[in-house]
Amino acid sequence: MDEFLQQMVTGLATGSVYGLLALAIVLIYRSTTVLNFAQGELAMLTTFIGWSIWEWGGHYWLMFPLVLLIAAGLGAFIERVIIRPVEGAPTLNIIIVTLGLFAIFNNVATWRWGGIPKGFPAPPEIQVTGVKFFGEGALDIGPTVVSYHDLTIIVFAVGIMAALYLFFQYTPVGLAMRATAQNPIASRLMGIRVGRMLTVGWSLSAAVGAVAGILIAHLILLQPPMMMGVLLYAFAAAVLGGLDSPVGAIVGGLIIGVSENLVGTYTPQEWLGPDMKLTVTLLIIVVVLLIRPTGIFGKRALRRV
Amino acid sequence: MLKLREVVAAYGPIIALHGVSLEVPEGSVVAVLGANGAGKSTALRAISGLLRPKSGSIEFEGQRIDRRSAEEIVSMGMSHIPEGRQLFSDMTVLENLRLGAYSRFTGLARSIGEFRRRGQDFEAALKQVFEYFPILAERRSQIAGTLSGGEQQMLAIARGLMGNPRLLLLDEPSMGLAPIVTREIFEIIHAINRTQGVTILLVEQNANLALEIAHYGYVLETGRIALADTSENLRKSEAVQRSYLGQ
Repeated sequence: MDEFLQQMVTGLATGSVYGLLALAIVLIYRSTTVLNFAQGELAMLTTFIGWSIWEWGGHYWLMFPLVLLIAAGLGAFIERVIIRPVEGAPTLNIIIVTLGLFAIFNNVATWRWGGIPKGFPAPPEIQVTGVKFFGEGALDIGPTVVSYHDLTIIVFAVGIMAALYLFFQYTPVGLAMRATAQNPIASRLMGIRVGRMLTVGWSLSAAVGAVAGILIAHLILLQPPMMMGVLLYAFAAAVLGGLDSPVGAIVGGLIIGVSENLVGTYTPQEWLGPDMKLTVTLLIIVVVLLIRPTGIFGKRALRRV
Repeated sequence: MLKLREVVAAYGPIIALHGVSLEVPEGSVVAVLGANGAGKSTALRAISGLLRPKSGSIEFEGQRIDRRSAEEIVSMGMSHIPEGRQLFSDMTVLENLRLGAYSRFTGLARSIGEFRRRGQDFEAALKQVFEYFPILAERRSQIAGTLSGGEQQMLAIARGLMGNPRLLLLDEPSMGLAPIVTREIFEIIHAINRTQGVTILLVEQNANLALEIAHYGYVLETGRIALADTSENLRKSEAVQRSYLGQ
């Protein structure tokens, strides 16, 4: 039982990272129907920038918001300069462009920072009235032990989800962004600058992806191919949750993280075992999509390609 | 209030308007009649900035608007209620109405006073819209896509009114509605013009109804103005009777 709980919590933590990257993918997809294959590499690149800031002596809590700002700027730049010109082009063209970005970000990271894995810091400990937040070590919660970093990841994912929910539901800009995603022409007739909303969407998405990168880098070491596996799981999470649903992205990520961990732990080596955990996870997704083709929370039917 | 001079508009190589000139005086209701594909909707799209005219000029309250974007034109005081309603169908009635008021409140409020005043303006606009369409007040939390056809058209008009326009462009408000619902909606459109003094440019296939509330009418035929006169004269005109009034 303790082992089971342990694996659950660890699964929730990695699942949160998948969910965050899936959220980044969904934020762009639902307003532009562009599947951004470069999402993971963009997150990796911004994490490297964070690493450099930290190396130069920047404090973690200075580096963190700074990276988010830089990521947001990069996201806006990419939308304006690279995506805008191919807007309205056939889907395949846009996919090729994002695959191109994937290669570019990967090359830039290798060229600038090299291929040797680097340790990335965890958020430093903060004491608030004797209660410890973040930092190293583990928290003993009765039947099981949870590492502080796993907790940090889960709290960040939940916090970002809540913040985005409030933003989309209760602010005029959030409302306008949802309107743009649903009906761009009607949005223009309301006076909404649709192009600007798309730019904001890419900024938000890049920032959310950067959080995923920063949080996972501490667990798996920072290196250029770091996000490739994560991206695969994130796409799976986004499809599972429904490509137009931000809540679905996080839930999909959590389901995949947990099931991946449980399959890896509880199926015998000779039968499935850790080597087959990716296969089993993807099998679960196929079954869910057979029953609900729009994903768990999705509304719009996915286009058959 | 609105003046079109020799407006030519096209979708790619296909010319839809071949030099259309028309005028909408302040406070009036002007109807644009014509068969399917005559260019009625295209004219509205050109006016509201969704489609940039190839040549000719469009003036709104003395200012050239034919090179301005749709987003700019809304905030100048013109609402376009498009064909097929184009609601935000996954959102609630209230969210649709909020979006209708979007153009009035762009940018951050610069003071608490302004923030409060915006809230009051919004509530006042909402109250007025609910007076025209009490059913929308009842359905304010309902998802727009689940409303009946008539209610959706009411919401589309209400959303347009939330922007506090001086000119309303209405495209086929009777489309797909039962005659009794259409009549109700036309009565409300008439009331909006009379009590609030909103100028209305109405595109409609149902010429009978349109000429009942309009002061002036234009007949479009394959992208050209074929006839222009007061509603009274148009109703009497033999050509209009034959082609559009079904008599």
